[in-house]
Amino acid sequence: METILQLLALTAVIAGTFFSVVGMLGFVRLPDVYTRLHATGKVGVFGVVLLLVAAAAWTPLGWGRAILLIILLMVAGPVTSHALASAAFRIGLHMKQPVRDDLRPDKAP
Amino acid sequence: MVSYVRAVLLLTLVYLALTSNLQASNIVVGVLLAVGVLALLRPQRRVTDWRAAGTAVVAVLRYIFVLAHDMVVSGMQVARIVLDPKLPIQPGIIAIPSGCQSELGTALSAHAITLAPGEMVVEIDDDGVMYTHVLDMAHAETAVAEAQELRVALLNKIFP
Repeated sequence: METILQLLALTAVIAGTFFSVVGMLGFVRLPDVYTRLHATGKVGVFGVVLLLVAAAAWTPLGWGRAILLIILLMVAGPVTSHALASAAFRIGLHMKQPVRDDLRPDKAP
Repeated sequence: MVSYVRAVLLLTLVYLALTSNLQASNIVVGVLLAVGVLALLRPQRRVTDWRAAGTAVVAVLRYIFVLAHDMVVSGMQVARIVLDPKLPIQPGIIAIPSGCQSELGTALSAHAITLAPGEMVVEIDDDGVMYTHVLDMAHAETAVAEAQELRVALLNKIFP
């Protein structure tokens, strides 16, 4: 049991770190606000969830607290992305090279 | 009354999960805190239909499963796009009708869309049409419509 938990924690830490790093990489590489929010808001949250799983398996955090935190993150993550995207649209930051734009049909290619 | 008991039960469960201590005294403290929290809230009356409760519970479980699956898949998908040297994105904003009547249903389905792979709600208008930013338009439209149908069906079972 100890070994299994240790293995789980190890894999979760490695995968969580990987996804957090990829989230930051996406933040740098992607072209505009909306695509960058995809990287931080999704990959980032997924990475933190994996790190929480690792913490629950291998530290005295406990599964109850970890699951509550995961649920809170899953509720808060998309709401943050949406709030930032909506704010960006309202102050007039628009997509770079859109394929289609239903919000501004006149500007689409 | 039923919804009050249910709220007390849920709040107590959250308290016990947070403290991870199942002693009788701690449970009593949890119940007292739950009653205190509910005393501070505005009471809400909602009719509960017990025949629909069974299907609602199944729908909630399926919905949570769909959300968790979406989160994992979207993490993988966005990671693949970011790590690809050519950066294969075709961003666009498409309009998706939410298909839910209530405000709560619309809010939840916007939340579910934002959690789904490659999609993010930017704006919602008065009719409940969600303007969704899509990372990869190439195979987005059919996939988005199908996923939205599934989620709306589940949400309509949860909030009839």
